[in-house]
Amino acid sequence: MTAELSPSTPESSTAPRATLYEASTQYRHWRYSLQQLAHTRAALNTAAVSAIREAFESDEPGSSSNVSFLSADEEHLLVKLYVGKISQLCGHFRFPEEVEATAATYMKRFYLKNTVMDWHPKNVMLTALFLATKTTNHPISLEAYTSHIPKTAPSDVLDLEFLVAQSLGFDFAVWHAHRSLWGLWLDIQSLPDAPLDDLRASYDAALKHVRASRLTDAELVYAPSQIALACLSLASPPLAVAWARSKFPAIPDPPVLAVLEPIKDMILKDGSPPEVEAVREVDRRLKLCKNPEKVVGSTAYTKKKEEAERKADEKRRRKADDIKRAMEDGDPFGSELAGRAVDDDDDDDED
Amino acid sequence: MDAVEKANAERQRRWAKDQKIGEGTYAVVYRGREVATGRKVAIKKIKVGQFKDGLDMSAIREVKYLRELKHQNVIELLDVFSSKTNLNLVLEFLDTDLELVIKDRSLVFLPADIKSWMAMTFRGLEFCHRNFILHRDLKPNNLLIASDGQLKLADFGLARDFADPGYKMTCQVITRWYRPPELLFGCRYYSTAVDIWSVGCIFAELMLRTPYLPGESDMDQLKTTFRALGTPTEEDWPGHTKLPDYVPLGQFPKTPLRDLFTAASADCLNLLSKCLLYEPRRRISAKDALDHPYFFALPYPTHPSKLPKPIPKRTSSLPFEELDGNTEPNSTGPGVKANPPNKLKRKHSDEGMIERSKSIARKLDFSQ
Ligand SMILES: Nc1ncnc2c1ncn2[C@@H]1O[C@H](COP(=O)(O)OP(=O)(O)O)[C@@H](O)[C@H]1O
Repeated sequence: MTAELSPSTPESSTAPRATLYEASTQYRHWRYSLQQLAHTRAALNTAAVSAIREAFESDEPGSSSNVSFLSADEEHLLVKLYVGKISQLCGHFRFPEEVEATAATYMKRFYLKNTVMDWHPKNVMLTALFLATKTTNHPISLEAYTSHIPKTAPSDVLDLEFLVAQSLGFDFAVWHAHRSLWGLWLDIQSLPDAPLDDLRASYDAALKHVRASRLTDAELVYAPSQIALACLSLASPPLAVAWARSKFPAIPDPPVLAVLEPIKDMILKDGSPPEVEAVREVDRRLKLCKNPEKVVGSTAYTKKKEEAERKADEKRRRKADDIKRAMEDGDPFGSELAGRAVDDDDDDDED
Repeated sequence: MDAVEKANAERQRRWAKDQKIGEGTYAVVYRGREVATGRKVAIKKIKVGQFKDGLDMSAIREVKYLRELKHQNVIELLDVFSSKTNLNLVLEFLDTDLELVIKDRSLVFLPADIKSWMAMTFRGLEFCHRNFILHRDLKPNNLLIASDGQLKLADFGLARDFADPGYKMTCQVITRWYRPPELLFGCRYYSTAVDIWSVGCIFAELMLRTPYLPGESDMDQLKTTFRALGTPTEEDWPGHTKLPDYVPLGQFPKTPLRDLFTAASADCLNLLSKCLLYEPRRRISAKDALDHPYFFALPYPTHPSKLPKPIPKRTSSLPFEELDGNTEPNSTGPGVKANPPNKLKRKHSDEGMIERSKSIARKLDFSQ
């Protein structure tokens, strides 16, 4: 309908539309196989260990030999602990479910690009949650936010906000399983001879499973609608089957049901918070192996800063030289100058 | 360097930033290019450090929605990268906007032109609404126009999603002249219909060549609206007297749209009236609007490339303006400013010129 308004506007939108979800950044940028996830984390961990080892050595030669770095699994455990803490905080602030779910997603995505040895999950969690309040349109002032969290200053959040946003690739919109479950809930109420009381109980139980799924990798592997159906199936297998049959009446064994088992297994296996004792041990070791370049005051930190400043200086000098040369050439707006790629200096700022 | 920093640096290198072309409420806009292809882009630089609550909500909304929306009639966000404490949005470069087109008195609009702009506006809006996104700030200067004539919804700094029905929203959105009466009465539960009202006002403005409902204050906006469309009755709009900020504003009679829009077709007025219905639930949806007979009746919408258009916006307030102008094809010579943008007549060398020159006689100036 929208396509052929007239013979004179033949462009676009005639192509069959992919589903909205398939056009989303979530689908395009944040879906992995289990193998890819494991590989990504292992590679990040390896790179981090070697970079930090180097930083230690430059701080003090020989100092890295006794350090016991975290493994990828240990990093993951720590992240999971803090993902779990999001819901406590959200309960405290009475943030809507969407904020909580979004913050959890941000945390998980952040640590597919970063290592806990660089950025401790506590402040990342606080930042991810603060950012989520804004991206879901439930903003709260930073002052009000941090004043309710012990030992936290506005700068703890502000300093990391940009890094978090950047690590997310600025993909702020998230599709959530609890939303999909709500859709299922509306559907199942109109199933023939559905006993309403049982339905409500099943929905509530399914929602609990959805919340548990936030502690797992499910959303990085499966679609929100698949997770929601798996959770409904955990709560009431017959209901999930009845729903699928009603949606795909022509197919005896709707394929949507086939994928549910691994999701259910994952939620049952990984959907509870980690053992605090185990995590405490990891956190204790993290104190000894975190990247000194990210610790204000260490020699490595100072070195890195100096290096950055030296580079910036050099760039400024180069730019001044370019302008001088261009002026001498009588071409103050030389194409060479205008044509340079955007660099990170902001000398062109008017304010 | 961290992987994240590295990825950012790589993205950053793809774009070259040239001179400043404008300043918005929270950003500075530069002209730029894609280094590899020379494709012209606009780079919107948002200062991040200046807000005590961190990343600003307008920037967040704009990025959030534009990252998800890819449609011919929605401005394309090509990339996002950071430089120091700035957020840079790389947007497709758009030559002009509908406000400048409307204000350019040297341009003549044919009914087919208006139909074309309306079709593109509704297509972009239908796509947003299909994605559960409300724009909430539609007005002619947020409808940007590409060099090929395609109209694009832009400025998503006030947008939000509405997948959560019944969530309370602020009524302080939409520039006053395009704001629907339910918002002026303080309604906090609203939906896609708010955008449709704005489109209705834009539709009328395209025909009148002047804002249709230019209220001077929020209160005056309601009066202006009622003066134009009649005070709503309980039947027109059930329950409106119960809205939070309702105030009786006197009885204004309904005047037929036909009295003001004398040259418009019946289909055209029918669609316009459906965009401007008081009861939000009865207002036409973007999807239904696209199916409206108006779009299928003669004259067919003008092909975008044939739409009237001022010469491209020029850079202003830059010391190098004249110099820069030398590189423009329209420049009249070194150091001499080209004709002011608004003086260029619509070219009559287009195909269809004969029809056009004939139809100049029925110049669509409804305000006279
Ligand atoms: N995509 C674009 N292409 C070309 N020029 C643009 C583009 N976006 C913005 N501009 C220019 O920058 C100015 C400021 O843009 P913006 O920040 O979006 O404005 P505002 O905050 O007033 O809506 C505009 O008036 C326009 O001249």
